[in-house]
Amino acid sequence: MTTTRRSFLQASMFLGAGTALPFLSLPARAQRSAGVLRYGLSAFPPNLQPWVSTGAASGTVKLLIHRSLVAYDSKGELRGELATSWSIDDQGAWVFKLRKDAVFHNGDPVTADDVKWSIEEIGGEKSTAYMRTQFQSISKVEILDPQTVRLVTKEPLATLPTWFGNYNTFIISRKSTTSEPIGCGPFRIAAQERGSWIELTPFDKFYKPGFPKLKGVRFIVYADDNLRQAALVSGDVDVIEYVPWQSMSAVENDPRLKLDAVEGPFMCVLFNGSKPPFNDPRVRRAVAHAVKRDDIVKAAFFGRGKPLEGVPIVAGTPWYDEKLAHGWNYDPARAKALLAEAGFANGFQATMLATAQYGMHKDTAEVVQQYLGAIGIQSELRLPDWPTRVNLGGRGQYDLAIHGLSADSNDPDGLTPYIDTSLPPNYVRSFGLSAPRTTAALDRGRAEFDLARRAEIYKEMQRAALEEVPMAGLAWRQQGYGMDRSVQGFANMPGALTGLSGATLEETWFG
Amino acid sequence: MTRWLFGRVLISIGLAWVVATIVFMALHVVPGDPAELLLSSNGVAADPAAVAELRDKLGLARPILDQYLSFLGGLTRGDLGNSLVDDYPVMSEIALRLPRTLELIFAGSLIACIVGIPAGTYAALHRGGTFDRIASGAAALLLAIPVFVVGTLLVLVLAEMLRLMPAGGYVPLAQNPAQHLMLLALPAIAIGKGLTAIIFRMSRASVLDALSKDFVRTARAKGLAPARVLSRHVVRNALTPILTVLGLQMGTLLGGTVLVEYVFNWPGLSTPLLRAVEARDYPMVVGVVLTISGLFLFINLVMDILYAALDPRIRTG
Repeated sequence: MTTTRRSFLQASMFLGAGTALPFLSLPARAQRSAGVLRYGLSAFPPNLQPWVSTGAASGTVKLLIHRSLVAYDSKGELRGELATSWSIDDQGAWVFKLRKDAVFHNGDPVTADDVKWSIEEIGGEKSTAYMRTQFQSISKVEILDPQTVRLVTKEPLATLPTWFGNYNTFIISRKSTTSEPIGCGPFRIAAQERGSWIELTPFDKFYKPGFPKLKGVRFIVYADDNLRQAALVSGDVDVIEYVPWQSMSAVENDPRLKLDAVEGPFMCVLFNGSKPPFNDPRVRRAVAHAVKRDDIVKAAFFGRGKPLEGVPIVAGTPWYDEKLAHGWNYDPARAKALLAEAGFANGFQATMLATAQYGMHKDTAEVVQQYLGAIGIQSELRLPDWPTRVNLGGRGQYDLAIHGLSADSNDPDGLTPYIDTSLPPNYVRSFGLSAPRTTAALDRGRAEFDLARRAEIYKEMQRAALEEVPMAGLAWRQQGYGMDRSVQGFANMPGALTGLSGATLEETWFG
Repeated sequence: MTRWLFGRVLISIGLAWVVATIVFMALHVVPGDPAELLLSSNGVAADPAAVAELRDKLGLARPILDQYLSFLGGLTRGDLGNSLVDDYPVMSEIALRLPRTLELIFAGSLIACIVGIPAGTYAALHRGGTFDRIASGAAALLLAIPVFVVGTLLVLVLAEMLRLMPAGGYVPLAQNPAQHLMLLALPAIAIGKGLTAIIFRMSRASVLDALSKDFVRTARAKGLAPARVLSRHVVRNALTPILTVLGLQMGTLLGGTVLVEYVFNWPGLSTPLLRAVEARDYPMVVGVVLTISGLFLFINLVMDILYAALDPRIRTG
């Protein structure tokens, strides 16, 4: 046999086709089994401990396995779950009436004893729960009868029921162990592979007849934003969370898909108030007036957001005030005047901390840096990885910091962790800063039960915050879920509650 | 020989200890507290008392030397400890994921050999021809384009536009072999593309080299068929340097899988490593890094032994 050009080519082509065959023989599509929803998760839950806050991805899964006394519905209103009703008694204590038909996944009924045990464990001395401090202000949990619990608090607490709408305050069985919490939610874990996927099956004794509607949920982790989006477009999954901003229009324009986006989380500037120049509220106000927010919305969020020129209060709520919402409008002349008044007419140098790990933090920081330069504040960007950013932030090793946040609820009390300056140092709030009037107003609002008076108090809080600047709002950003058009009943919850939207998977079905 | 071998193994163990110590210490020096990071996921405010409690539970409050000694103690028993995040045994995680990473590297290398060696040989045989020029240009291009660009383009075209393939993921071979191979294809191509270019160049160069050798001229002169000359004398001799390069590059691919696994959602060893670094999950980071460096050391040891077997000067000198 002689090797000719032709025979060599033929041999190569045969070999090439042979190896490619197994890859091309099937139209490759991840299979959808009937009634099972495939959900593209942005991260694998670090763990699923019911009371420990380990992020929104964990929250989404936990919301399906567990239930608390109350929950938010898709409109953002509190509704009863394990509790059928709740009210304040004449001594200012909260009384919750429990439903009789709720059972845990091990078949035991949900009783007042389990509720008392869960609440006491969350607030316990050895607790690592997210709501630990708040629950420690519950001085006593009384069982009035097997279906009624009474929570006595150290101070009057108007917002206590909202605590149970959080995804870190579930009621679990007293028989639970740390490694095996026993919940009473609509689904239970069927199987999982650490880091990759989690499969849930419906709990047949769930207390709402006919729910959940799905035959199962399969959470698949796609850590990369673009791949998650590609998985939705190619039909590998039915729903994805955190649609990247640059891809939102593509999802909207795809006839097979739909987008549900709300403005909930926000970007802001934090200050190191423990030393000059940012210990002076005038300098902080100058920063708040110096930045043209539209540019952040365009640069960091591809227009998928809106400027935030005040304290982050959600529009349409009773606490919102149009004028106060623009109290830190873009006004470079005023910013310069404020700097001059504070004795910095020629500006100064500062360090600005953000992180390069998340594009939105870095992009926002770059825009802010430009605008501060325009009023004479020359800032040097520091963009370490996220763990270092957390570490430096908590120790106050910065002058200015850029951060992205989401409140615990749409109630202004949900902003407490971020603007109450009496709380210990934390990377989520300004360092060593004092805003006593804002803090005092937050305290009053928490203790007031009358809605009209609360609204007034929170407007006063906003006025105080506009002057004291415990942080400066920059931009609301959209949080979007992308889904197949056949997915019905899944809703993105309004405002700060967007992270709780996973709860609506209980009502989701394929149309 | 036995004494020499014993010495080599001892050196490898010593090196593994050095790696473990450096990684352990470096991690503790780098800023970031695992307890605080875990409790403040998604930017929430962690309660300092809860953080302190968690640090205590995880044993992070103990002196660093104490932690190091118990880590070494575990290591001698073959126990890499448990994840700080969810208490999952590090060993189990590695046992599950290492085979997948190795499979990816193997598939990438296979593609590189299947494409690179014939193409390189053909290009050498027709040196300066159209194919040679096009293929050499393509090889340069393949080496120049970063792996994440190729990965993203493959996903965009094959998964999003043509909808021919899933965007990424993993199905166990036993569960669905066809789907498994389908999902393996894209990441294997992405990881193998650089190696393909290297193997192509190497094959082309060594075939050219072999073609100019006297024994090839002799083989031709004595009237052997060209196909026989090519297979018996040229390619066979040209394969040795190609295999050396392949062996070296497979080790490098181990590090190169990080991006590919991320882009294609291939659940190999890189995902837990990335997650662990972000969460400062010390035992997991140390475990994975130790496994990767252990593999490197093992490959080196095998190479040393092979060379020694081939060349007595190495073991005596």
